[in-house]
Amino acid sequence: MKAMLTALLAGLTLTGISCHKQAASRTPLCCAKEKAVTASLMPGRLAGNASIYQLPGVWTDQHDRTFSLDALKGKVQVVAMIFTHCGYACPRIVREMRAMEDSLSAAQKQDVGFVLVSFDAARDDPAQLAHFAEQQGLDDRWILLHGSAAQVRELSLLLNVRYQRLEDGNYIHSNTVVVLDRQGGIQKTLEGLGPAREAAVQFIGRLASR
Amino acid sequence: MKAAYIILLLSIGPVAVLAQHDKMARIPGGDFKPFLLSGDRRQTIKVRSFYLDVHAVTNEEFLGFVKTNPEWRRSKVARLFADSHYLTQWAGDLDIGDARMAKSPVTNISWFAANAYCRWKGKRLPTMSEWEYAAGAAPVHYKGGRTLTKVILEWYDHPTPVVLPAVESTYKNAFGLYDMHGLVWEWVEDFNSIVGETAAGSDSNPFVCGAGSSGTTNKKDYAAYMRYAFRESLQASFAVGSLGFRCAQDIENPIIVH
Repeated sequence: MKAMLTALLAGLTLTGISCHKQAASRTPLCCAKEKAVTASLMPGRLAGNASIYQLPGVWTDQHDRTFSLDALKGKVQVVAMIFTHCGYACPRIVREMRAMEDSLSAAQKQDVGFVLVSFDAARDDPAQLAHFAEQQGLDDRWILLHGSAAQVRELSLLLNVRYQRLEDGNYIHSNTVVVLDRQGGIQKTLEGLGPAREAAVQFIGRLASR
Repeated sequence: MKAAYIILLLSIGPVAVLAQHDKMARIPGGDFKPFLLSGDRRQTIKVRSFYLDVHAVTNEEFLGFVKTNPEWRRSKVARLFADSHYLTQWAGDLDIGDARMAKSPVTNISWFAANAYCRWKGKRLPTMSEWEYAAGAAPVHYKGGRTLTKVILEWYDHPTPVVLPAVESTYKNAFGLYDMHGLVWEWVEDFNSIVGETAAGSDSNPFVCGAGSSGTTNKKDYAAYMRYAFRESLQASFAVGSLGFRCAQDIENPIIVH
């Protein structure tokens, strides 16, 4: 499904060129590579739900403990990438995730973890992450992770989160919440600031009770 | 000329330091105007001076990496990090096959593989800004005196051949870099960094008609449009036949040689 969506996006991407009025007359020039691109995006080539916990590397959590992604194994995890200096979108994402947490039954809560990974390797050190967790009222079920810029890029690629560091040190990013199964396979990707929360909670609950 | 260069190196003394940048060009810092703007719509980005490989990594060079890093062999690589097209042009795990490919740029490698190769070399992938800035330099002595845009558009029009031409076979630019256009597409470190206009996620693909064009700085730059659109369509595990890479390095950082 995801592969198909990607292929569809690629299709949109490329047809986007021909609807550019000036580009239209140039269309033949672009077609050979265009075909190559489209062919590379045929469905069925993605890793499916291979565990993202295969990504090596040591992170640090908000309690200044070293942390490998592998340690997330065993629970269903709800993951987002944020930065704490973010004024609007990130607090909203966190609120959404908290609302999901609140909607789970007591039994389900035991089996679900919440993870926030910071884009901001420079400013979001463990102390800052701890401060943010307190500010947002996040309990022990939440893990906030700090990693190097290179680690953050790698993880963003596995989670399909887009982001860019701006010169003022802030970030623009897609607003994505990812649901991982107990092994670390991506089971659902929620996009946008107002995901269908009820459906998401049901989905998380179903995964947790499996 | 090359002999004279070596003699010069020997006479200076710190051979090791200079030799490590063999086949890399020092790109002077400067301002770069990105083709596609996002976020704060800053018109120019400052690119700091850095080193960049003068040519794309070849099959032969990549074979050296795969030999010492078994986890990157075709039969062993994790699907999470490279899809099923990974190195399919080779005859086997440690066999390029067709000898003509040895000096051709390695393609069918995922972002993760390219990233791992550069790290192994003590280098890193160039950022999109670095790559675009470096690739924008004019060709030197390009036969026929064609403009860069014409070169690129002609390349786009030709299908990728079964055996790619060798590196350093197209043109050299003013920074001393070969084949920045006209041979293969190249991975950049932050290829997933273009966030849609409203930064609201999937429904704001910047390349959809209107939305995308209003965010571009030069509406006539079709070649750049294609390049950005291509990057937009990639995922880090994809291995594509016309997509290779080259590595960059910071000026100030120490170099690890393997």
